[in-house]
Parts: sequence; structure tokens; C-alpha cells
Amino acid sequence: MSSRGPLLPAENLVVEQGVSAGDAWVTVDPANIKQALQSMKDDGYRLLVFLTCVDHLADASRTWPARYELVYQLRNLETKDLLRVRAFVDGDPPHIDSVHDLFPPANWDERETYDLFGVVFNDHPELTRILMPDDWVGHPLRRDYPVGGEVVEFSEEHQTWQTAPEDA
Amino acid sequence: MSTEGVTITKTGEQGAFGGELLTVNFGPHHPSTHGVLRLIVDLDGEQVRRVKPVIGYLHTGIEKQMEALRWQQGVVVTDRHDYLSPPINNLAYALAVERLMGVDVPPRAQALRVIMSELTRLSSHLVWMGTSGLELGAMSMLMYCFRERDTILDMNEEISGFRMHTSYIRPGGVMADATPRFLEMLDAFIGAMPGHIDEYENLLTMNPIWRSRTIGIGRLSPEDAKVLGASGPMIRGSGIPWDLRKAMPYSGYENYEFEVATSDDCDCYGRYLVRIKEMREAVKILRQALDRLPDGPVNVDDRKMLPPPREELETSMEAVIHHFKLFTEGYSVPPGDVYVAVESGRGENGCYVVSDGTHKPRRVKFRSASFVNLQALERMALNHMVADMVAIIGTADAVLGDVDR
Repeated sequence: MSSRGPLLPAENLVVEQGVSAGDAWVTVDPANIKQALQSMKDDGYRLLVFLTCVDHLADASRTWPARYELVYQLRNLETKDLLRVRAFVDGDPPHIDSVHDLFPPANWDERETYDLFGVVFNDHPELTRILMPDDWVGHPLRRDYPVGGEVVEFSEEHQTWQTAPEDA
Repeated sequence: MSTEGVTITKTGEQGAFGGELLTVNFGPHHPSTHGVLRLIVDLDGEQVRRVKPVIGYLHTGIEKQMEALRWQQGVVVTDRHDYLSPPINNLAYALAVERLMGVDVPPRAQALRVIMSELTRLSSHLVWMGTSGLELGAMSMLMYCFRERDTILDMNEEISGFRMHTSYIRPGGVMADATPRFLEMLDAFIGAMPGHIDEYENLLTMNPIWRSRTIGIGRLSPEDAKVLGASGPMIRGSGIPWDLRKAMPYSGYENYEFEVATSDDCDCYGRYLVRIKEMREAVKILRQALDRLPDGPVNVDDRKMLPPPREELETSMEAVIHHFKLFTEGYSVPPGDVYVAVESGRGENGCYVVSDGTHKPRRVKFRSASFVNLQALERMALNHMVADMVAIIGTADAVLGDVDR
């Protein structure tokens, strides 16, 4: 594996940095996320591998600055270095600036993160649900969203389907 | 997902040929979408002007499910997102968990992982070639390709007891050692496969119908491929030699000699050539792995992670305790997060794992190649005929289970 020495582009934008299991990461202030990613992109990290969110609700492994952690995994295609950018956001719903104009693959990733975590990306061109149905209530990957329990469509519990008009 | 039940609508916009743009619904239950993919296509005459993929029909909540399962149980779920390459999905997850735990698997397990990965790559490309041939009129391709795929599934069954969702590669090693019969089957398969690939090439490479349906269709320039984050045969078909097995080797891929298949055609035909070449390279890797298969254990010797052998349970109280703890509570993984990417038949298949130190993952995110590659669809389909959409979706080789997870 190539050396993963964190090349720090925008020193003043980085709040914290470290290495987790061999992966370099930096934390930035969510207010500056676009600026920070722009400077990292200029520095050679041209590919956004993925973008996602981690919900740290009731996570006792350390004290977290906020409940939602947004994770941007960047890669430099020339040096093959990886850099993970993290930003912590709170609020209901949490807000952060969209980066779809810096990294085109972020478009669907942001829609997915909105769909599953309810994180609102400001200035996203089409922030709609992507995986769940349009009329779904709630954001399934939040930790306070239970596993199971939702009514399965076309099952016996699914009243609107089961009840024929004359029995209604 | 959108709920509009539109089949054809006039948009009111004026097209270049004097007519109006029409919005046409393509899918979700269309035989050429390899699953359930819905496309909302704006057509000017027969030319595609806009494509809007609508996904989510195969969403199964795999990432949510992973959070409810213990670390060793999660392997079973990883099989099922990209259902054409289960062992490669297992490998990404296993490598991520091992990186977090600081575990290195023995050489024999690494070689078996490479063998299973390459067999899977072959079977995945075979399904792609069979179905793509079928869609573009080469009906017999499906029969030829599924014949060899069946041999691979027989080998899966021999080594793991399961034909498709093998769960063979697990954190800490592999499920079981290869049986002598498996190695015999593999040897025979490696001997026969180059001849079979020649057969496929005889049927397709110079086939005038296949060539006219794919050459110049679905062009993706190298710059676009890079910017859109494409990976796998999609980026290599645009002439960029990006392969994670070479770029960031894992499981000992640096010890095998193989070439990264690329094509400068940048079209559907180029992606076909890349896949053919990759199949030949996969057979080369399989031969090297089989010839140099090291002896030794296939699992790490760590009782806190993997159960003790059955014989030990009868004589050792400690083994019984370990067994009991592993199957009731499971093992815990040190807090931290890690991203591991492996090269599947479709591209970069990544696994981002976050541990909070308990016996279940805090978050598992699958970075699927299909999800990202599908975003390039509009770029590829623009200004082509609507009938060419079938070829373009085909060579993008998106597995919808992988897109929707």
C-alpha cells in the first residue's frame, strides 16, 4: 500500500487530523466544507470515491462533537493516496453545503444520504429520495429508526390492498 | 423513486426534426435492464435527449441489516448486494474487518481468496456476455456462457456447499480448506477455459451484427470517465489502465503476473474487448494461484475471533468457553473506521466500516461500482437512438441489487 502521509492542503481549514487503521483522515468545520474540498481537489484529490453519513446517536466509544458525521472519501489517482474528510453536523434536519458541482458523483450520493439519514444538502439541484419510495416517512439509516416493523406491501396487514371496495 | 405513471407525454419542447420531444418510460420491468431499472427518456424522434434513471426498486436495506447483525453474521448479507459476485463482496468486508482488528490471514487463505475472486470475475463476465449477446440478437451466447458458468457454480458448491451466495470468504480466513476434488475441477476448468473464450470470440468479435450494434455506440471519453468516477471495465474501456488489483494490491495480487486490460475504443465494443481480455487474464491468475498454492492453515489462529476445531471441544474446557462466547456474543472490533476497496467484475467494490467497539458494526457502507457507473448512463446515451439504449445499459453492466443495496 502506498504511503498515506496526509498531505494537508488547507491547514487553516483542518480542525483535527489522524489515522484510523491505516487510513488518513482530517476533520473540517462543516461551514467550510466546500472550501476545504475545493482546496483538496486542487491539491490532487480529484476523485470522490463515496460520500456517506454515520449516525453517532448513543455511541459511547468517545465523545462526538455532533450526532451526524459526514464522510467524504477522496482519492488522488496519480499518487493513489486516500484521504477521508469528516464534518460533524447537528440539528433536525442537519444542513451542509452540497458539493455536487465539485465532484459529479456526489449528486446521487447526496440524494442517498438525504434519503437514508435526512441530511439536507444546501443548493443540491434535485434533493429527492432515491432508494426509498417518494412517500416514505422517516430516514431508515438513522439509529433511532427501528429494524423491521413496517407493514409489508400486499401483506395481510396492508389494509388498503386487502379491503375490497364493497367490504370497505 | 418517482410515482408518475407516465408512459408517453408530450413535453411541449420543440425538437430538431420539427416534432415535439416525447417523454417515454423505459422499464422498470424491461428484459434488457438486468433487474428493475426505470429510465425516463426524452426523445426527439428516435434520438435520446435526456435520460433520468429511477432506481430503488431493489432496495433491501442491506446496510441497515448489517447494523443489526454481529460481525461474523454480516458476511451472509454481504453476499446479496451484488448477487453476481458474492465472494468479492465477502472479500471487501472481510478485509475491512481484518484491517480494523489488525489481523493478517495465512498465505493459503490469501491464495484461496484470489482463486475465488477470479472465478467470480469469470462467472460475472460470463453472465454479462450471455445476456448482452441475447439482447443484441446473438441468442446462442447465453447457452455457451451459462455452460461455463454452471461449471463455476459447481466449483462453488464443492468448496463451500453453496452455489451462489457462498459466504466462503470470512473475516479471519475462509470457510474451509479446498477439497482435492475442487482442485481437480479447477485444474480441468483452467485447461478448458481458454478454448471456450476462443469460442465466444468466434461468435462475437467479428460478428457483423454485434459490431454494428456496439462500435461507436455509448461513447465515454477518458475525461468523462474520470470525472464521473467510473471504475472497472467502464474506465478501462476508455483507455485508462486503472485496476485496484494493480493500483492498490490486496490479498497478494502483487505476486501474480497479469496485464490490465484496456481499450482505446471508448465505446460498447471497447468495453466488450476489455471483458474478454480480463477473462483471459483471470485464467492466467488462476493457473498461477493453483500452481503456487501454499500449504498451511486457512484461518488465523485466534480463538477470540474464530471458533476452535470440533475435536478440541471434547477435550478442552477453554475451547468450549470460546465456542460459547463466539456464538452467543460474538467478537468485538476495536473502535475506528476503515475503507477497503477491491476490484470486482464491475469496478471498485468498496466497504466502509465503522466500529464503536461493540460486537455489532456501527455503520457499514457499501461503495458499489454499479451505483456510480450508472450515473454515466446519460452521458453515454445522449444523441443515440433509443434502440441503442439496450446496448449501453448492457455494457454498463449495472447489477441492480448492487445499485439499490
